[in-house]
Amino acid sequence: MVIGLTKKIRRTAFLLLIGLTGAAVVFILNIILGSVNIPLSEIFHAFSASDDKTVYHKIITDIRLPRACAALIGGSALAVSGILLQVFFSNPIVEPYVLGISSGASLFTGMVILIGFRLGIVALGNTGMFLGAFIGAMAVSAIVVIASQNVKSITTLLIIGMMFGYVCSAAISIMTAFADRERLASFVIWTMGSFSGFSWQQTILMYLVISPVILLSFLLSKPLNIMLLGEEYARSMGIAIKPFRAALITVSGILCAAVTAFAGPISFVGLAVPHIVRLIFGTQDNRIIIPASCLYGAIMSGICDLASRTLLPPYELPLGAMTSVIGAPILVFLLLNKRGKDGRF
Amino acid sequence: MKKHILSTHELDVGYGKKTVVGNISLDIERGRIVCLIGPNGAGKSTILHTLAGLIKPLRGNIKLDGNDINKIKRSEIAKKISLVLSGSEMPNLTTVYELVSFGRAPYTGYFGKLSKKDHEIVKEALLRVGAYELRDRFCSELSDGEKQKVMIARAIVQQPELFILDEPTSHLDISHKIEVMRILTALTVENGLTVLMSLHDIDLALKYCDDIIAVKNGQITAYGPPEQVIKNGDINKLFDVNNAEFIETLGSLEIKGPEKADVFIVGCGDSVYNLARTLTRNGVGVSCGIMHETDVDAIICSITCSYVAKAPSYTEFTSEILSSAKKEMESCAVVIDSGFVRNNATSFNSLLIEHADKIKKPVLSVSDFQNNDALLQSILTLLRRENK
Repeated sequence: MVIGLTKKIRRTAFLLLIGLTGAAVVFILNIILGSVNIPLSEIFHAFSASDDKTVYHKIITDIRLPRACAALIGGSALAVSGILLQVFFSNPIVEPYVLGISSGASLFTGMVILIGFRLGIVALGNTGMFLGAFIGAMAVSAIVVIASQNVKSITTLLIIGMMFGYVCSAAISIMTAFADRERLASFVIWTMGSFSGFSWQQTILMYLVISPVILLSFLLSKPLNIMLLGEEYARSMGIAIKPFRAALITVSGILCAAVTAFAGPISFVGLAVPHIVRLIFGTQDNRIIIPASCLYGAIMSGICDLASRTLLPPYELPLGAMTSVIGAPILVFLLLNKRGKDGRF
Repeated sequence: MKKHILSTHELDVGYGKKTVVGNISLDIERGRIVCLIGPNGAGKSTILHTLAGLIKPLRGNIKLDGNDINKIKRSEIAKKISLVLSGSEMPNLTTVYELVSFGRAPYTGYFGKLSKKDHEIVKEALLRVGAYELRDRFCSELSDGEKQKVMIARAIVQQPELFILDEPTSHLDISHKIEVMRILTALTVENGLTVLMSLHDIDLALKYCDDIIAVKNGQITAYGPPEQVIKNGDINKLFDVNNAEFIETLGSLEIKGPEKADVFIVGCGDSVYNLARTLTRNGVGVSCGIMHETDVDAIICSITCSYVAKAPSYTEFTSEILSSAKKEMESCAVVIDSGFVRNNATSFNSLLIEHADKIKKPVLSVSDFQNNDALLQSILTLLRRENK
């Protein structure tokens, strides 16, 4: 046995524990803090006495709690989605946002919000919009999957995905030209991404979709690890590459779609968290990186959501801006100070 | 277990509809080191990728241990063939130990957890390639030579019957090249593995490989043991070498000198070739003699020099050779005494020096000069005076 191994395991366990604690702390802070100052005693009270429907109680259980839960799983989903795509494309700057999966969701949402797209005579309500965004994201993923069965080079595939992203963005910007101001404003707000206004129903649905898929992605960690050596080696070591490609993009597409459908396109979490986690943990072993990214992704989106609500109350700052403002400096700091000075990731 | 680990019959390899190399029929015997040689772009890599099952053949079939490779599951092929590709990038933040243990993938369970036996196999492979002390280093921090050893260890860990390597020695210094070849040889001799690889180092191919496959212009031009398939001049034809010639005897390349001789070097054995190289690369044409044709001097000078007075090995020099050498000397401007050993065997060379004095040719003696460069300067001065 390798001598350094046990030390490494201990370090990994410690860092995972920190992640778990961190996620819990962020979760609690998200419930305690907000634009309305709620005394701690009231918070405990809200949890203990369920029959007493005070305003505070309502804010806690109907607004902050589902929102905090949604932010956690949303961050996890985006981070895992990012890992899968980065390994798959052997490209460190890939994330669902870059690949056009988010744009697919935006396109459909744009159609609903901007030009009042109807299915028959039925106007699409909120649920319809979520469904639409989900379908949009999955449609772009599906195109990338189909292309992946016929395209040899992964770079070509990446370009195809990006081009679809551009086409979607172009279609959106054309639609904005025709849209009236009010609709445009509400679409712009949607594109900024936010976990606000999550109902319990939505949050539960999100958990139902995302949790099994994250579990599934964890099951892909062995072939994901081997993919680090490149596709040819992966094939030579017995990985059936086409089904694996399809599984990878589907899983990553579902994760991204589920978040985007509910919370709008949230950039940067999928890009930055996997890198941050790799650098902190000092490994690329996806058996560690995937669960770790779940925790740290949850922390990151939790912190960003908290910041967007509490920095300048009562205004809510755009979540997409928070993720970049908070994530980018951390990533740059780690890159400059840690081991990743050379190589790809 | 079949005698041939890999057989192909009328195999065409290429991409899409374009055949790169056609009509390949090979029977690769177990336990041998087989080497593909040929110019850049001849299709060596394409052949190797196809044989490894990474590219579909355009025509014909490949049999791995007697079974059609298309009908074997990829995970089963992975237990029989392992691959080392050229110039592959190393993943960052992955230790040598982790990377090598990836090779256990065809044997490990769903999460790739290594058993105690797996750890032993990884350790043994690392020791075998001399990379055990690198085990906790990150792969991206290794030198090219270390990277190649680690990739070979990864391939060993896969416990294959056939090793396919694409240019395993490129970018390596001489000692690492030898190290890589030593490891591969040991695998074939001790473990009965078969090695199939492409090599640009022809000398290594001729010296280390049991069989050579020469590829050129879309076909296999030769296949067999090096001594049988590579005759003198074959390598030059294979690679279209100009202004130089590959000497199969020595396994090295020698540069052709000017076609007209300005200088005659009297010498034999190994006293001439270094000086001949110095003079010819500075544009001075050289003739030399008298020597036996298996002298190192004769082997090298037959390429660098425009004329070599030589006799078959273990024969007496004849007066014909002497007079031919004298005639050649008369057409040269300067004669050089290489400082050959004076004895009965070299008496003809002493006669040549005497002849030079008789015909009043300037004779320079190597022993009078500090080094070849100093000698070169004197020769250049004499030649300049001659031209005036």
